[in-house]
Amino acid sequence: MKYRIWFLIAITLSVALPLALWLHASSGDTAVPFQVMIDSLWNYNPNNVDEVIFREFRLSRTLTAMLAGSALALSGMLMQTLFQNPLAGPYILGINSGASLFVALLLLSGISIGGAQIGIVGSALLGALLSSAFMIFLSGFLRNQISLLLAGMMFGSFTSAIVAILQQVSGAEALKAFTMWSMGTLQQVSFNELSIFSLVVICGILISLFMAKYLNVLVLGEKPARLLGVNILRTRVLVLLAVSILAGVTTAFCGPIAFVGMAVPNLTRLLVKTQQHHLLISLNLLFGALFLLLSDALILQCSEIIPIPLNAFTSLIGAPFILLILLRRVR
Amino acid sequence: MIEIEHAIIGHNRPLIEIEDLTLKSGKVYAVIGRNGVGKSTFLNSILGYVPLMSGKILLNSKNIHTLKRNELSNNVAFVASKFEGVEYLRVREYVSLGKFANSSFFGKLNPEDTNHVDLLMEELSILHLADKFTDKISDGERQLAAVARALAQDTPVLLLDEPTAFLDYSNKKRMIEKLVRIATEKNKCILLSTHELDLAMDNSLPFLAAHRGILEVLPSLRKENISDYFH
Repeated sequence: MKYRIWFLIAITLSVALPLALWLHASSGDTAVPFQVMIDSLWNYNPNNVDEVIFREFRLSRTLTAMLAGSALALSGMLMQTLFQNPLAGPYILGINSGASLFVALLLLSGISIGGAQIGIVGSALLGALLSSAFMIFLSGFLRNQISLLLAGMMFGSFTSAIVAILQQVSGAEALKAFTMWSMGTLQQVSFNELSIFSLVVICGILISLFMAKYLNVLVLGEKPARLLGVNILRTRVLVLLAVSILAGVTTAFCGPIAFVGMAVPNLTRLLVKTQQHHLLISLNLLFGALFLLLSDALILQCSEIIPIPLNAFTSLIGAPFILLILLRRVR
Repeated sequence: MIEIEHAIIGHNRPLIEIEDLTLKSGKVYAVIGRNGVGKSTFLNSILGYVPLMSGKILLNSKNIHTLKRNELSNNVAFVASKFEGVEYLRVREYVSLGKFANSSFFGKLNPEDTNHVDLLMEELSILHLADKFTDKISDGERQLAAVARALAQDTPVLLLDEPTAFLDYSNKKRMIEKLVRIATEKNKCILLSTHELDLAMDNSLPFLAAHRGILEVLPSLRKENISDYFH
């Protein structure tokens, strides 16, 4: 079973990921020759229009897809272990909603703090952090797996109601800014913003790696973990910090993206059948990137015929997937 | 080893009162009593998991309820009455979690600890299950794995909540005999709550009988007295 895992990683890294990268980078309105792709990276000429288009629009979207996919899958995996619930994920437990609410509060109230982008990132992170703290508080009372999901959904409805009211009372300019953001797209991240995005995601990954050993014990449940010497409170706080950082920053840059965080970790566990969290972290990063790259490539390919919002596409795949998990594992 | 002084055990209402009790190393104590009399709460109090209503429990003359988390996990191990298994968690990985406090950043064990884990699985005859998933083996096998995990913690005190509840007769017998052997060989203080009075008597275990709100020490129990402690 060990080689199975290494075989999977090797195949993903050497075949699937490069293929998906190439597919994604070459999808779009105009075909970009391979030579231009290479040149724009290692031999960049700002006067060559093709190279500029590729570097500024295509490449940033490709990298955003990978970062967002990895971050969402990892945050979902962390939540599933923390809540001991295969259906947990940043979207379904209202972490995205919390982030959206705070971005809405910022954009629609007309207050702008510093640069617009920094403000959005900051408020999304704060919103994600507060809503995940609220969820962990609720999980103390809701022992049933399904109850927690329902609570997450109620929280989501509640925040979107507030957002709807805010939208009604806000000015045209602010409304436009918020609507643009809430559509959810991988296109809005510029090449320069990518460095902030990746830095924050790396922080989230580092915290997760540091916590992996504790997550390995936490699968036994809280009491056994505590009796084995795990500091439960510290573990919960740090894992939720990682979850909020990862899901919050992704929501800030790409808007709400549904179900990736729930579906990818389940697929990963199904494929590799392990509870070793160092492995699960690496594999979720890989498969998350792969999943979102392929989804977005498909969207790009179809965009001539029918434009599909990213959030709608992931829901189309994700919602039936939840049903499948319900039938297979929860009942 | 363990000294209990003027302790009142219970959550919201007092369940068991213990005036003065000393538990020694190298012995297996059978905690008996009717359902709901407070056997589990008693074990959980020694675990430091349920606070006492009054009094104190000393482990090597240190108060158990003020021990640091890792001091506690180095001294007391616990086996719950039922381990349901965890999806995709293998038996060897599960038993290795007993060595968690000693593991590296990546959760890996040193060779010595790895050998100890294998040795324990062999002693409890579950080595052939090492690569099986914990949710795909039988209840009895899981119970043995849970005991192996607790033994891997290598603590002077071991508490087991009805460790024989899901075993067949021959495995019950073997489990008790194994625990007695471990207690003498490794000089551990073992407490187990149980309803297997016959097996406990066969192995001449000292009893801690909880009844009418007190805990009575019975160096041996006679068959004709059993009913005294169960009504």
